[in-house]
Amino acid sequence: MKKFSRERDLSTIFLVLLLILSCGVFMILKIENDNISRKKLPGSSVIFIPSGKYLKFATLGYSSLLADLVYLWAIQYYSNYSIPERFDYLDHIFSIIAELDPCYLDPYDIGALIAVYDARDLDIALKILDRGLEKNPDQWIFPYNAGHYVQMLKKDHILAQEYYKKMMEIEGAPVIARRLYADAAFKSMDYQTALENWQEIYQTAKEEKDERIKKIASNHIYQVKAAIDVQMVKGAIAKFKERYGRNPIDLSRLVKAGFLDSLPKDLDGKEYIYDSKTGEVKAPTIPWKR
Amino acid sequence: MKIRAIALNTLKEAIRDKILYLLLFFAAVCIIFSRLLALLTVGDRIKIIKDVGLSSLSFFGALMAILMGTGLIFKEIDKKTIYTILSKPIHRFQFLLGKFFGLVLTLFIMLSLMSIIYLVLIFFHTFKIEWEMFIAILFIFLELCLITSVALLFSCFSTPILSSLFSISFYIIGHSAWGLETLIKKVKPGFGKTLAQILYHLLPDLENFNFKTEIVHHLPIPSTAFLYSTLYAIFYTLFILVLALLIFRKKDFI
Repeated sequence: MKKFSRERDLSTIFLVLLLILSCGVFMILKIENDNISRKKLPGSSVIFIPSGKYLKFATLGYSSLLADLVYLWAIQYYSNYSIPERFDYLDHIFSIIAELDPCYLDPYDIGALIAVYDARDLDIALKILDRGLEKNPDQWIFPYNAGHYVQMLKKDHILAQEYYKKMMEIEGAPVIARRLYADAAFKSMDYQTALENWQEIYQTAKEEKDERIKKIASNHIYQVKAAIDVQMVKGAIAKFKERYGRNPIDLSRLVKAGFLDSLPKDLDGKEYIYDSKTGEVKAPTIPWKR
Repeated sequence: MKIRAIALNTLKEAIRDKILYLLLFFAAVCIIFSRLLALLTVGDRIKIIKDVGLSSLSFFGALMAILMGTGLIFKEIDKKTIYTILSKPIHRFQFLLGKFFGLVLTLFIMLSLMSIIYLVLIFFHTFKIEWEMFIAILFIFLELCLITSVALLFSCFSTPILSSLFSISFYIIGHSAWGLETLIKKVKPGFGKTLAQILYHLLPDLENFNFKTEIVHHLPIPSTAFLYSTLYAIFYTLFILVLALLIFRKKDFI
């Protein structure tokens, strides 16, 4: 009995030693294995991901979960700078997320951000944001971002104006939407629209007793009115020059010659500054220093 | 000799199990379905077939190992047949190893059957035998051996349902080791980092047996990776089996 017990103790010790030994060996092997550099094709399977429409059926009701996973994976994937061609399927990947979970808003913003600042591809960014708006028509943030990118990077103020218009039409959009719209209209030289909108903003601010916005709107109205007047006066100067072969000595000559009915004045009642040598006309005050 | 007898007996018992054929059927369906899935893609269709096929081998093999392995010891205890076996001059390690090898043999047969379907399907598309595929299948088999030992370990002290859950968790953890690696990189030095490092080395890394991507893309694989991965499988399996034996020895049957 005693012998049996001793044998059992010895075998237990042997097993414990074997356990520790095997544990030590596999841990060393793990370290060694980690040190072996294995050639990888990071993200090589991207093109094989089917369209989100098909994928949705294969998720067995876990489409949001899969959208989360694809999104998480996408973030890691686009943070990996060792894949130079990683932007080739940017739209494809984010369209999958959109199909799997159309109401998941973050991927649209982040996807567009990656497209603009990493991939330097504004068209893809706009595609992603347009998709976001299409699937979430109540989200003003998508046309807002799209308008911002278009204005900042493409200087396409007409397109920006369209985006801000969409933003304005969405219920719950912040009041800044109309100001952005009016500003884009001014920059796209749609002075009439810009003036009408700034006047409306001014009126609303006046009713709401918002002095800051009232001041901003007033300055913009000044700027837009000045632009309209300068455009008109310059047109008259051009006609004058065509007839007489020189610039008028002063602006009153334009009225005398019948090119203008009367000389326009700026919003504060001051006359426009005219340089007869160059034919340049400009507002007497910088709008923001009024 | 005794181990062999128990192993063969386990094999006979396992091949009578209907669940095995059900899983084999689903695996075959999945492998064949990969052909249809390939139609949906734009690009290399063979790649899809290879990927889905290898994944099916791995996934259904793991399911077989877990579902059969977790009931292996428990069934003997539940049906009280273990009393008859252990009353004979058989050591517990012989019993445990016999069970382990019996199931490994079963898995080997099942994996071979699935592989034949898979390789035939590839052959019909490429008209050549891709020998590299055998490497990927071999490492899937090593992974299955490890999972079998884990299922056996849990089967020594738990019910089949709980053992299945534990084994599935082991499988998931094993394939998510990269998450811990990322965590180690992000965590500041200190207790948390040390703990994460210990866990990273201690917890199974089943990705060591995953050569699927490299094989499918025909990427070069260093021979040392094969060697270390094989040794890793052997030693981790040994570790789990010794642990199972230590627990099994504590059980009072006679």
